[in-house]
Order: sequence, then structure tokens, then C-alpha cells
Amino acid sequence: MTNLISIENLSMTYGSPARPILSGIDMSIAEGEFVCVLGQTGCGKSTLLRLVLGSEQPTRGQVLVDGERHLRPDWTRGYVPQKYALFPDRTVLDNITFGPEVREFNLFTRMMPRFFRRRRELRMHAMDYLMRIGLREADATKYPDQLSGGMQQRVAIAQALMTQPRILLMDEAFSALDPGTRRDMQKLIRQLWRDTRTTVLFVTHNTQEALSMATRVVVLAKEDPAHGSRVMLDMALNQPCREDEMPRLIAKVEGVCGSSRDPESALFSGEELPDKILL
Amino acid sequence: MTSAFSLIHSKPGRTFDTALSWLLFAAGVGIYLYVAQARHAENPEERVTPTVTQMVNGFTDAALKPAEDDEATLPENASVFRRFPASMLWKDTKATSRRFFYSMLLLIPAVLLGLHMGLFPYVRVFFLRFILFFDKIVALSLLPILFIAFGIDELSKVMLIVIGVTPTIILDTFNLARGIPPEQVTKAFTLGAGDFDVAYRVVLKQLMPNVLNSIRLNLKAVMLFLFAGEMIASTDGLAYRIALLRRHMGMEIIIPYVLWVALLLFLVDLSMRVINRKLHPWFREA
Ligand SMILES: Nc1ncnc2c1ncn2[C@@H]1O[C@H](COP(=O)(O)OP(=O)(O)O)[C@@H](O)[C@H]1O
Ligand SMILES: [Mg+2]
Repeated sequence: MTNLISIENLSMTYGSPARPILSGIDMSIAEGEFVCVLGQTGCGKSTLLRLVLGSEQPTRGQVLVDGERHLRPDWTRGYVPQKYALFPDRTVLDNITFGPEVREFNLFTRMMPRFFRRRRELRMHAMDYLMRIGLREADATKYPDQLSGGMQQRVAIAQALMTQPRILLMDEAFSALDPGTRRDMQKLIRQLWRDTRTTVLFVTHNTQEALSMATRVVVLAKEDPAHGSRVMLDMALNQPCREDEMPRLIAKVEGVCGSSRDPESALFSGEELPDKILL
Repeated sequence: MTSAFSLIHSKPGRTFDTALSWLLFAAGVGIYLYVAQARHAENPEERVTPTVTQMVNGFTDAALKPAEDDEATLPENASVFRRFPASMLWKDTKATSRRFFYSMLLLIPAVLLGLHMGLFPYVRVFFLRFILFFDKIVALSLLPILFIAFGIDELSKVMLIVIGVTPTIILDTFNLARGIPPEQVTKAFTLGAGDFDVAYRVVLKQLMPNVLNSIRLNLKAVMLFLFAGEMIASTDGLAYRIALLRRHMGMEIIIPYVLWVALLLFLVDLSMRVINRKLHPWFREA
């Protein structure tokens, strides 16, 4: 298989004096993989994702997507953040159709009759998606703040998939959800991944979550404070993970992340704790 | 055992609530009437505190009698609907409304500038420092310069509003635009939007209710500068009339005029609030 994403010797610093966040990340991701990037809060996972998206540029090294550098985000890489994923001024349906709408019509052509015809088509299409992600028809005309957190993230996923991106980037997409909802969402994203064969790069600080979804887990951690995070572990997984394998894998990841100094390490015990405590 | 009375947790009943909210109005009117009556008893020629009858007469004259310059043109028995449009009150209101409308139009480029400053770094760098400086200029202190530079016609009054109000609106919109979570912008790009799609279809649309609220808050400032301009250099308008009548101690018209202006401003504000709610049903007031 060819590499869809090549991350080469990627380094990122912030501020002056420069504070290193990432130091020399190397990673290749093939088409169709489901990669989870794991690491403690503040280790630079979101930064890595922003560099892949192209909303920021690295201080050293490069990210190639399909062999090209990207200077800004575009529709080939879909994105689901933890918060603010949906446009609050649009209904659920209009949020889902936003992608095709904005790509096919500019500020002026969207005044033409053709636009309204096409929008009807798109809305029908979006309805299908809505059903697939487990929302009801009645939810279509609601505004995002009338939905629960889990429902919002479902819509955000549908919104991202509607443009049929080759890569789906998710940043702690389920971290604000309660454990039950979170498990449902994990199942859903696995399902969608299998159906659409989209390459998924999923960032999380929750080991259990990573192990229960990914075909490959990459752990980022700092070796010492003077440097940024590096790839400390990169392992392939057979999915679904066997229950009796879990403790061993968790121990392995925990070993790499080292320190049990901070409360963050509690999550490596395999317990599913509410996020408020972890963050 | 009953718990102690708490001010914060008290719930006035509906009738009591209404009564209480009108109490200050009633007190204001009552005190005025008492003072006016007392002063008139002392001196029937008294002009500072006109009686209600005088004010009603004054206001009806202003609203229904033809303005001075075209006195003869209306027949004696013309209907109210023919007489009001020829009246002094209508002419003044029209002149002031026109200027008010122009100043509102001027706020549109201000909003757009603020939006672009918030989103595009080059625009921000180019304008921000200058506008921060501009914002600190006391607009009224520029009045003489404006009259010298632009003459005493409409342009100088409009410029006064530009200098007085637009920096606030620009900076407000700028801050609102910067407050949009970066995730939203990134998200829009990943869905295929371009720079201007993000600016107008994502950010501006989300900001609009807040921008309208900020304009509502600044209505007073707009009126302040408008009135300052009209009082000092104008030949029509509500403020011109008030300033003119001051010379004749025409309190029986000034007081109704002041209330009339307050009523108009209240109506503008109210309609903006209603429009805001109708246009943005998704908006939750913070
Ligand atoms: N725009 C920025 N400017 C300065 N520092 C930043 C910026 N973004 C992130 N950081 C810093 O980089 C570090 C890593 O952040 P982030 O990538 O969000 O971590 P994670 O997602 O793993 O929790 C944090 O210490 C954060 O303070
Ligand atoms: Mg993060």
C-alpha cells in the first residue's frame, strides 16, 4: 500500500524563546488505516493534527498528503474537533449540507435558482446520512444547541463525511461525552470507517478508547523537558482487541508514557473515568 | 421553622411587579405636575414648567399646524393626514431620520472592516493601530475643524458620526470576529470553503446578532453626535428645533419634543430587537 500521509522529521516550537512541542516526528500512514494518536494532555497531539490539516506550518520537517504539502486546510482532509464542531447558526441539515453547498456555489451563484434545486437534492442526501448516524427526522430542523453532546458529534461526523474526504482527522472528538455515549460513538466511527474506507487519524488521551478502535496506535510523549514530544511507541493492533489482551496492552502503553506523577496517569489503569477529573 | 427572607430569592407577583415598574414614572409625572401647578399659582406667566394643557397645545400645534414657510397652502378644514405631513414636527422628524439613516448606512462598511480585521492578519496590521488612535479622538472636539473643513452642511454632520461612532463599531466587530473559535474556521476550510466563504458565510453570519446588539447599544451615541451637529449647524431637524425654541423659552414644545425623540429611539431599538430575534432564531442571548 502507498503512503497517504508522510510525516517527515516534523518539529514545532511555539513562542519566543522557542518552546519545543514536537521534536522530529516520523510517521507514515497508509490509505485505509485507522490510527490513534495517544498522549497526555499538552503533549502536542492537537498541534500534530493542525500541522496535518495545514492550518499551521511546522518549524522544521514537513507533512506530505498524497505527496504534496498543503498550506491550508481543504476538503480532502475532514476534521472533527472536540468542541465548536457545528455552525450554531445552521440547522442540523444545513450543517451537513454545508460542505457541498460551499464547494459548488460561491457567494453569488448561491442566489440563483439552480442553487435552490441543488440544495433540495443535498438535503435528501443529508437525510440519508442523518439516519445512518442514528438521528431522527425530527432532529433535522433543530439547531446544534438543542442537541445533546453526543448527537452534536454525530452530526459533526456526518458533516465531515458528506464531502467524502480521503482522510478524517478527529481531535478528542468524544472526550466531552459520558462513557456510555462515548462507547456508542466509538462503535459508530468504526462502522463508518469500515463502510467508507476513509483513512482515520484519531487523537485521544484515553488509552482504552485508542485500543478499542484503532488498527494502529501511536504514542507521543516527551523524553525530557528540554525537547518536544516524539513517537515513543508505534504498534499495529488486531481489531477487535481481545478482552484478555487489554491489560497487557494498557501496561505497555503506560510503560512508554512513563511517569505516574500526574493525575493523567489514572486513565492508563484502564478505568474509564469522567473527563472532568482527567482534564 | 420558616427560613429567613432573602432578597435574592424573592419573587414579586405579577400585578405587584407591574405596579412597581411603573412607580417611578408615576412619581416623575406627579412631582412635575405638582411643581408646575405650584409655580403657576405663584406666577401665571411662568414659562419654565408649562402645564399639561400648554404642552398638549404646543405639541398639537407642532404636529398639525403647517410649518412657517408654507403657511398658506393648506385649506382650513384639511384632514389630520394632510396636515401632519406639512407640519413642523414631521419636517423635523424627517430631516433627523434622514441623517440617522445615513449614519446607519455608514455602519455597514464599519462592520465589514471590523470583520476583515478580525480574520485577515494583513488588514488587521494595516488598520488596527490607526483605528485605536482614531477611537481616542474626542469627536466633539473636532467639531470646529469639521465645520471649517467640510462646511456646515450635511457632510460635516455625517463626518461627526463617522468619527464618533464607527471606531467603536469597528473595534467591537473586530473583537467579536476574533472570538470565533479557530476550530470553526478550520472546519469550514475542511468542508471546502475559501477565505471569503469563511468571512461571510460562517463568521459574519454568526456575528450578526451580536453586531446588531452592539449597534443597538450605540444608538445613543449616534443620536448624541447627530444632535450635537444639528444643534450647532443646521436649519432643520429635531435638535435644531429644540435649540431654536430654547431662545424663546418654548418649554411647552421642547418637553414634548424630548419625549418624542425618546419614543422614536425606543421604537427603533425595539424593532431592531424584534428583527434580530426573527432573523436569528438560533441565537441565545448571553
Ligand atoms: N498557538 C499556540 N501558541 C503557543 N503555544 C501553544 C499554541 N498551541 C498550543 N500551544 C502549546 O503547545 C502545547 C501542546 O498543545 P496541544 O497540541 O494542544 O496539546 P494536546 O492536544 O496534546 O493536549 C501546550 O503546552 C500548549 O500550551
Ligand atoms: Mg488537544
